[in-house]
Amino acid sequence: MDNFQSLRSEIRKYLIIVIILENILLIGGIWYFVRFLHQSIDYVSIGAYGASIIMTFVIAIAAADYVLIPLKALWQAIIHLSPSEKGVAAPEIDKLTVGRTLVANLTAQIYQIVTVAEHSESLAFKKSSSLKADFIANNLPLPLIVLDGNQTILFVNNLACSYIGRSAEDIINQNVYSILNMSFPSDQTLDSWLKKAKASAVTTSQLWERVRLNITDNQPKRLFDLAAYYNKDNPQHYETLLVLFDHTSQYSQDDQAISFVALSVHELRTPLALLRGYIEAFDEETKGTLNPELDGFMSKMNATAQQLSAFVNNILNVARVDNDQLSLQLHEEVWSEIIQGAVDMMSLRAKVRDIDLTLNVAKDLPTVGVDRVSIQEVIANLIDNAIKYSGSSKQIVISTAINNDGSVETSVQDFGVGVPTSVLPNLFTKFYRDHHNRAQIGGTGLGLYLCKAIVNAHGGNIWVKSKEGKGATFGFTLLPYAKLAEETKNNDNKEIVRSAHGWIKNHSLYRR
Amino acid sequence: MQPQSQTLPANGKRVLCIEDEHFISELYARALGRRGYEVDIELDGQKGLAKAQTDNYDVILLDLMIPTIDGIEILRTLRDSAKTPHLKAKVIIITNLEQREDVRADIEKQADGYIVKAEITPRELADILDKLK
Repeated sequence: MDNFQSLRSEIRKYLIIVIILENILLIGGIWYFVRFLHQSIDYVSIGAYGASIIMTFVIAIAAADYVLIPLKALWQAIIHLSPSEKGVAAPEIDKLTVGRTLVANLTAQIYQIVTVAEHSESLAFKKSSSLKADFIANNLPLPLIVLDGNQTILFVNNLACSYIGRSAEDIINQNVYSILNMSFPSDQTLDSWLKKAKASAVTTSQLWERVRLNITDNQPKRLFDLAAYYNKDNPQHYETLLVLFDHTSQYSQDDQAISFVALSVHELRTPLALLRGYIEAFDEETKGTLNPELDGFMSKMNATAQQLSAFVNNILNVARVDNDQLSLQLHEEVWSEIIQGAVDMMSLRAKVRDIDLTLNVAKDLPTVGVDRVSIQEVIANLIDNAIKYSGSSKQIVISTAINNDGSVETSVQDFGVGVPTSVLPNLFTKFYRDHHNRAQIGGTGLGLYLCKAIVNAHGGNIWVKSKEGKGATFGFTLLPYAKLAEETKNNDNKEIVRSAHGWIKNHSLYRR
Repeated sequence: MQPQSQTLPANGKRVLCIEDEHFISELYARALGRRGYEVDIELDGQKGLAKAQTDNYDVILLDLMIPTIDGIEILRTLRDSAKTPHLKAKVIIITNLEQREDVRADIEKQADGYIVKAEITPRELADILDKLK
């Protein structure tokens, strides 16, 4: 207030001086005109009134400007700080002739208020953004898990806890693989993706479909899509973000469909086994006593029963694959014996259709690590396909040889209708069949799917090449036993047990 | 193994088939008989166990689902040294049950073989028995 009062008294002082001066001038002028120039008082009065009015204008304008100087400086100071008025200069307080102290003081206060306001505004912003992050993370209507660079869980939201079925305290600071025992539909697992991301990416993201959560303790099975975001060198070590999209009901419906079929088909097994048993007994005990036509009927009956039996086995095995129940025990086997056994199994079915099965086995094949029953099913399925698609051609060639990379490659070639190029990529998909032939040729489209699952579980690959009208060749590779055994030593597993399925275990759990 | 139209002479081996499905036991008995085996069929669990304990057999084919005592119980009794002295017979489980891996492994430990009936024909069963030592 002192500054303000001194400004007021300053202004009062100047105004009083100016008005006194004006009056002195007026009174002095009147006196001068009347006394020395002997003018009539009437004219002098009129002149004085005129001069007074003119001087009032001059003084009022000058005084107003003068009085407003501090106000103008303050206005300038405020406008200078206003974010909407860019480019207004700050007042030059040093040059002020009036109210300098007051203006300097007030401006300083204005500057201070603005700085404090700005600061608190930025604090408020920070607070609200972390509030936002907390709010989003905790209330995201999807399970969210945050991992550091060692795959240790740093954060889980409420939904993730209830999805996993454990409390946050149980989960935080645990390795993600020990909490989430996941199976992925291909060998592109979270673990392998993370390794690649760490090696080559700054930020990247990935989506998996049909990931399965293997929960123990009688918890229901969970199937979900998994989205992951990776960013390197995050200052809070929030390196990987995982979001789970549950699709259990949707995905398990497909599985239930095949389970239902499997359940029904299971009932066919015993009557079918009996039928085959009686056919076999008939075949054996009537051998040489029937005329050739009846003998042929007997063979066809036998072949048809075998085919039906193989079909039932395929369905049951696909159900096992889908439920992760088809486990394979890989043993060292002589490949030529295995493949001969499989060809023998199929010989009757080929013979009743007058098809020749030719087997070419390369010499010096290494022993292979295979599950005998399953791998024979693969060969049988490929030969069965070749028979179905042979058309009028009467030859199927089965060859096996060693590849450049040391793997053992086996192929089944037919010279029938072939596969259109457009459908080649889908051949190993469940329920997929060549649409042209759907009507004429039976089958469920499960055979090749099963073959792929079994071959992959052996560590091999399955392939097809074909030209429409020129037949098709299906082939697969197998690892030599020596190579498998090496793997076994590295893993410290006593047995080589593989799971034949679309599901690949996330091996990190076992590597730690 | 080529089909034979001739019945082979007796090989002196005796087989006990504890199986209540008549068609199956009939087929097995016929196929094994043609290979020279002497086959006894028993449809009931209790009676089957009693016969098995006589130790008169080289092979016991044991179904898991049979009346009065089930196959697993019979297997346990046969392998329990307090109840049954050591048998010379090989015990082979024949079943159509889909067992969980661990149950199956447990059975396999106690039995000498485990055969899913739907997966083999009577002739193949005879092939398997021929290879048993």
